[in-house]
Amino acid sequence: MKVLKDKKAWIVFMAPALLFYIATVFVPIIQSLLYGFQNWNGIGDRSYIGFDNYVKMYRDPFFWNAVKNNLGYVAIVVFMQVFIGLFLALLLTYIKKGTSTLKTLYYLPAVIVTVAIAQLFRNIFSLQPQGLFNIMLEFVGLGHWQKAWLSDPATALAAVSVPEGWRFIGLYMVILYSALIAIPKETEEAALIDGVNGWQLIRHIKLPSIANVISLCLIMCITGALRGFDIPYMIGVPGSSTELVTTYMYKKAFSSMQYGYGSSIAVFIVLESIIAVAIINALFKLRKGDAA
Amino acid sequence: MTTGKFRFSTFLLYAVAILILIVQIYPVIWLILSSLKSSIELTSRPFSLPSTWLFDNYSSVIRESHIFLYIKNTAIVTFSCIILIVLLSSSIGFALEKMQFKINAKLLAFFTIGIMIPVQVTLIPLFIMYKNFGLLNSYTALILPQVGFALPLSVLIFTRFYKYVPNEIIEAAVMDGCNIYQVFYRIVLPLTNNTIITVASINFIFIWNDFIFSNTFTNDSQYKTIAVGLQEFIGAFGATDWGQTFAAISISIMPIVLIYLILNKNVMAGMSEGSVKG
Repeated sequence: MKVLKDKKAWIVFMAPALLFYIATVFVPIIQSLLYGFQNWNGIGDRSYIGFDNYVKMYRDPFFWNAVKNNLGYVAIVVFMQVFIGLFLALLLTYIKKGTSTLKTLYYLPAVIVTVAIAQLFRNIFSLQPQGLFNIMLEFVGLGHWQKAWLSDPATALAAVSVPEGWRFIGLYMVILYSALIAIPKETEEAALIDGVNGWQLIRHIKLPSIANVISLCLIMCITGALRGFDIPYMIGVPGSSTELVTTYMYKKAFSSMQYGYGSSIAVFIVLESIIAVAIINALFKLRKGDAA
Repeated sequence: MTTGKFRFSTFLLYAVAILILIVQIYPVIWLILSSLKSSIELTSRPFSLPSTWLFDNYSSVIRESHIFLYIKNTAIVTFSCIILIVLLSSSIGFALEKMQFKINAKLLAFFTIGIMIPVQVTLIPLFIMYKNFGLLNSYTALILPQVGFALPLSVLIFTRFYKYVPNEIIEAAVMDGCNIYQVFYRIVLPLTNNTIITVASINFIFIWNDFIFSNTFTNDSQYKTIAVGLQEFIGAFGATDWGQTFAAISISIMPIVLIYLILNKNVMAGMSEGSVKG
């Protein structure tokens, strides 16, 4: 159709969004890259210092501590969101009645304001006054385990990761559930006729059929957790055990006014996300190769 | 024997499902119940229903804090963003999916990579730019990046819908004398109602809940959104007054929960859209 090849109309429809996107997302990324090579505190002269910021980052023990914490955070969040999410999705496929209500309610925490979740968990993990979690420990006879989970350096990282993991379990459940119910019935039936049991069906038929969606969930979840910020920033201990790469970058940029150094850390976050995606894709390709 | 076993496993299945349901929603219910209790009752009977339904916490939050100002700010930002997002992404989606240009696939891919980009990488450059242009503490400062970062997913959702709009409809409209703009606004756009609701509802949730942009670009109460405002007056009340804190939180989550309960199908569809690629 000629009308669909109207170049002027195409530009009218496309240009506003494209320009908006470039200006608010891509121009800042390029600027970050440039700032990463500068020594600048926001006022006065900027000077190009090559890779000095990156060398500084490499030698900065606080930065590496943040990276280490961030990996712990990723591990907890991925375990909760993807593994528990997958477990729930599988569970739902065996339930006949009420799945849509269950789905809606499981999903509820995902829509609640982060600051509300953060404050809620600040209370849940609190010792003085006794929070929900400590009350429950006492209730089941584990009173001696009670502690201030958020301020104890040994448990603080887990205590800021759990709320983040918890709130998006429902999101991953919904995604994985839709993939599971899209598996053709014939595949399952054929396997059942061949005499596979329930567990084998899950292990050898269902999970391989949704491998693509699982890898996408892992990508979403891991890149999401690598840039995790809100909850650790809001309720993390002002020390080092809940410092993540993002919160460290934020502190360097907006408290210490080290815009150059902050930008180089921001670039690091982009790079580690790209690397994570590449690793997951490679692992899933490898697995596919084995199966074939 | 088999039926007995079957019944037991069904029972177990539902028991686990309900246990998890409790883990997922009990904290929210507990939060709302706690907001209706006095401080004494909160510590002495934390799990019970409030003995009398106290609205004192609510009235003091409303009296002593700027909560309604924050809600107003959040609403202004959120609705401006949604209007822009729907306008921009519905039209570019049409151009990329329905119009026939070779570069369309590449442009769509360019938008799709935006889903992976961490917002933090843009904070410093935007902060500096806003400072130079005097845009810190303004609605604009919040609206610009929110719309930019919402575009990738929204464009994707629209293009996926347009795929199912048959070209015959467009042809028929052209025969009737419509030009391309009329085809879009009079014929295609009205078909996308449900998609518009999906895009609007997920972005409503993302933007209403945003913390990092408003925390970075606003520090004047006049422009603070609820996510940042809430954080602030919790400190002002001190950590001990949990009753008021819970009341403030309850007020702030109400619009979201309401929208979600009405539009949950659209919300779930939209949020999972990003991952389930065609």
